[in-house]
Amino acid sequence: MEAKGWISGDESAKEMLGRVLSRARPFLLLPPLHRVPLRPRNVLEIVGPSPSAKTHLLIQAALTCVLPVDWNGVHYGGFDGFAIFIDLDCRFDIFRFSHLLKLRLASGSVSEIDREQNNNTIKRSSIAYDEELYTLCMRRFSYVRCYDSFEFLATLKTLHYRIQKEKAYGNCVHMLLIDSIGAFHWIDRASTCLPLRGSNRKSHSVQTVLETVVQEIRKLLLLHPMLAIATKATLFGNRAMNEAKCRNLRKPDTSYSQIGGITALQLPYREYMPSAWQTFVTHRILLRPSDDHLAVSDDQNHSVYFSEWLLPSLSFLDKFIVKEAGVFLVA
Amino acid sequence: MAPLKSLEQEYPILDSNFQSFCASHDIFSVEDLLLHDLYVLAAFAEQESSSERLKQGIAQVLSIIDGQHQPWLNGIELLEDAQRNKHVLSTGCEGIDLLLHGGLRVGQLTELVGPSSSGKTQVCLLAASNVAKKHIGSVVYLDTGNSFSPQRVTQFICQHSDPAIDQAKHRTLQKVMNNISCKSVFDIFTMFDVLHQLEFNLRSQMQGGDCKVQLLIVDSVSSMVTPILGGSGSQGIHSWHALMISAGYLLKKLAHEHNIAVLVTNHTVGGDGGISKPALGESWKSIPHVRLLLSCDHGGSICNVSILKHPSMAVGKAARFMIHN
Repeated sequence: MEAKGWISGDESAKEMLGRVLSRARPFLLLPPLHRVPLRPRNVLEIVGPSPSAKTHLLIQAALTCVLPVDWNGVHYGGFDGFAIFIDLDCRFDIFRFSHLLKLRLASGSVSEIDREQNNNTIKRSSIAYDEELYTLCMRRFSYVRCYDSFEFLATLKTLHYRIQKEKAYGNCVHMLLIDSIGAFHWIDRASTCLPLRGSNRKSHSVQTVLETVVQEIRKLLLLHPMLAIATKATLFGNRAMNEAKCRNLRKPDTSYSQIGGITALQLPYREYMPSAWQTFVTHRILLRPSDDHLAVSDDQNHSVYFSEWLLPSLSFLDKFIVKEAGVFLVA
Repeated sequence: MAPLKSLEQEYPILDSNFQSFCASHDIFSVEDLLLHDLYVLAAFAEQESSSERLKQGIAQVLSIIDGQHQPWLNGIELLEDAQRNKHVLSTGCEGIDLLLHGGLRVGQLTELVGPSSSGKTQVCLLAASNVAKKHIGSVVYLDTGNSFSPQRVTQFICQHSDPAIDQAKHRTLQKVMNNISCKSVFDIFTMFDVLHQLEFNLRSQMQGGDCKVQLLIVDSVSSMVTPILGGSGSQGIHSWHALMISAGYLLKKLAHEHNIAVLVTNHTVGGDGGISKPALGESWKSIPHVRLLLSCDHGGSICNVSILKHPSMAVGKAARFMIHN
C-alpha cells in the first residue's frame, strides 16, 4: 500500500508548474534594472559612488512594488504588494517619493510620462490622480530609520513579526529595500569591544554585525519570499578608477570590448564588505556618473549615468538620466 | 551596554536562572543578544529543565528589542509629519532661497562647501540673523574659528528696519540677539558634548514656546575633524572616519527627531587634475542631504552658489547673489 503511494505521486507536472510559476514569477523592474529577471529570494546590490542615483532606483523599485497591476481599467503593471524600506542613510525624501507616485498615477504607464515631460513641465499642483489609489499605495510603503547598527539589528530581529502581522490582514510583502548597507562600516570598524568576561563573547565588529545581518535577512527571505535590494556606496574614491583608466589606456589590448559602439570598460571598484555579505549577494549592478551631460530643455541639464551589471556579468553599459518623473534610459 | 542583570527589576522574568543560561552562551547584555540567533537560543532553552520560563524570557527580551529601534511609519504618516514639521527656513539670501525652493529645509543637513573667504561664514551669519528675527525660533551657532561676529549679525538684523524708531529697534535687537546662542568649539569631542547636551535639553523640554531651536549651524565641521587626521598609524585614520560619520549621524538625528535645520560648512582641498573638491573625503559625501558649492568673485561681493547634491534637484544648477554691506 505504502509503496504504491510512493510511485503514484502527489501531483502531475502540469499542476506543479502551475503552482510554482504562479508564485515565483520573475519581477520585471524598470530600466536600468530590466536586463536581468529577478525572483523572490534574490539579493540585488546596487553599488556606486555618491551621487549616482542609487536611491532613485530604490524608490522606483518601491513604487513598482506598491502599485497594483490594474486599477479602474488603467494598467499600472505593479506587483500589488507591500514594500519595506530600511533607511540607514537617513536621507530619504518623502516629498520626492510622493511626487513620483503622483506622476506615475497620473499617466498610467511610464512611456506616457516621458512624452508628456518633453512637451511641457509638469506643475505640482495640476496633476490629476486617483486619491484613493494614492492613499492605498502610500500606506503600502513601510519605512523605518536606523541611526546605528544596533538599531538595524533590532529592526531585523523584529521584522518577522511585523510581516506576519501584515500577512494576517492579507497583505503580502514583496520587497525589502535597504539604503545603504555600508552606512555604519567605519563606525563598526573603529569600535573595539574589550570582552569583560568570557573569551567567546562576540565582539561588536564589522564581521560579526554583518554576519548577523546576513543571517537575519536569510531567515526572513526563507520565511517570506521577497526580493531584497540593497544600495552600497563605494567608500574609496575615484582615484582607483582614474588609475585604472590610465593603465587601460596605455595597454589598449586589455579589457576593452566594443559592442554596439558603447565601450565596456571593466573599471574596478574596491570591495570592502566582509565575505559573508559578498557571498550572500546574488546580483550586482554598478552605477557611476559619466562626464556627459544631456540637455533636455533650455534650462535643464541632466547628468548621464552608466549602469553595468557585474553579477551576472553583462558586457555592455546602459546609459540613463534622472528626470523629474524618474529614471529614464538614454539611447 | 546595559547588562541583563539591570533589567531584572523591571522585568522579573529575566531572573538569575535566565541570566546564568545566557551567560553559559556568552551573552551578558542586550547588545550581545542582538548578535545572537534567538531561534538557536530557544532551541538550547528547550533542553533545559526550566524551558518554558526561559522561552518566556526570550520572548520578553524580543519585545524589549522591539522598543530599541525607531518606530515604523507608512508613507501617509511620513508625509503628514513632513508637511506639519519639516517646513522651509529662509536664509535671508535671495539667491540661495531661490535655488533651494525656499531655503533650508527643517530635518535636513545642508552643507556649504567653498574655499576660504568665499562667503560661507557670511551666509551662516545671515541665516542665523534671519531665522532669529523672522521665524521666532532660536539658533545654536557652533563656532570653530572665532568667526562669529555679533556686529555683523546686528548689521543684518537692523538692515531693513526703520531707522527712526530707536527704542523699539533696540528692544527687538535685544530679543533677537538673545535667540542666537553661540558656542566656541575647537575639537570634535567638545562638539559631541555640546550636541548631546542639546539633545538632552530638547528631549526634556516642553513642547511649544517661542525659544524652540530651529537652526543649528556648525562653522566649520572640517576644521574640527582635521586635527585628528594626524593620528598614529592606521588606527588613527579609522577613528577619524568613525568620529566624523558619528558626528554626521548625530546631526541628522537632531535634525529629524527635533525638527531643526542643520547648516554646516566645509572647505575645499586640491583634487585630481588640480580641480578642487570638498574636504572630508568620500565617506562624508553621503552624510549631508544637500551640498552647495560657494565661490566669490575677487574683491567683489557677488557670489556664485551651485548644487553639488540634492535629493530632488539636478546637479549643477546655479544662482548668483550679493551680500550687502
